Amino acid sequence: MSVARKALEMTQAAAEAIVQRAEGRYEAHRQEIFRATDRMFAGLMIGQWIFAIFIALTFSPYGWQGKVKTVHMHVWVALILGAVITSLPVALAWLRPGELLTRHAIAAGQMLWSALLIHLTGGRIETHFHVFGSLAFLAFYRDWPVLITGTVVIATEHLIRGIVWPESVYGIPNPEWWRFLEHAFWVVFCISILIPSCRRGLKDMRVMAERGAELEALSENQWRNSSVVERAAADPRGDR
Amino acid sequence: MTVDTNVEVRKGYDRVVVPAPGGGTRSLARKQFEALPLRERVSYLIEGTAQFFLDGQPISPSEAMRT
Repeated sequence: MSVARKALEMTQAAAEAIVQRAEGRYEAHRQEIFRATDRMFAGLMIGQWIFAIFIALTFSPYGWQGKVKTVHMHVWVALILGAVITSLPVALAWLRPGELLTRHAIAAGQMLWSALLIHLTGGRIETHFHVFGSLAFLAFYRDWPVLITGTVVIATEHLIRGIVWPESVYGIPNPEWWRFLEHAFWVVFCISILIPSCRRGLKDMRVMAERGAELEALSENQWRNSSVVERAAADPRGDR
Repeated sequence: MTVDTNVEVRKGYDRVVVPAPGGGTRSLARKQFEALPLRERVSYLIEGTAQFFLDGQPISPSEAMRT
């Protein structure tokens, strides 16, 4: 084998190893973000569950039955439906952190939490802000399909509940049929900004990983050159 | 504590000359170089065949990679 060919093969092998390490760093960074965000949502969901029970115990009876304080149906809804919505995402975040299924289950669960909170507050428009906050939190994943899952879940939920029980979504008994489209429009408006932001975040992560690879390659080049100098210095006749 | 605002911000490099596939060389703008597959860029850097320039002046690869 010629020296040139051997050198070429060595370069290719080194380049391959460096590229693989860069890919590994990028994937590790993504996994770190996925897992950290899964953990954040697991905590958030439990917090929302407690909060839902609290508002069911305090706000909801006023919202639906004047000032009569009773253990309203909403308390059971918050307790039981809240547990159902929370259990799967939290279990997945605990048992399968970083997996695709986990973050999509979390996206769906978080949107269902928005729906439940909206219901518990009697369709207050202010509680709809929870949807937009949740979408922003889901963007922490930097995985834009998660935002699509969230959007589909909340739009479908608004459509169905708007037909079946409009008061619980909009706070009025006879909203326009297209009201859900108006809400969906603002959700789409929100994610139309969040999706490019997620993609930009991923691109930045890849640039960081590639910059690391370039520095590693530079270091490899310097090591090779210094090795040649050392070999030449070790051979007084200058033969190679 | 004062901050020295006169510190020159280094641009890294704006042009690279690399070997062309059919022999000879080709000059690439920074964005074009960064758009090359990572494996190809890494190979140039390992071989030391990429020449970096800033404002038409040659600079060392390590200086080029600073920003």
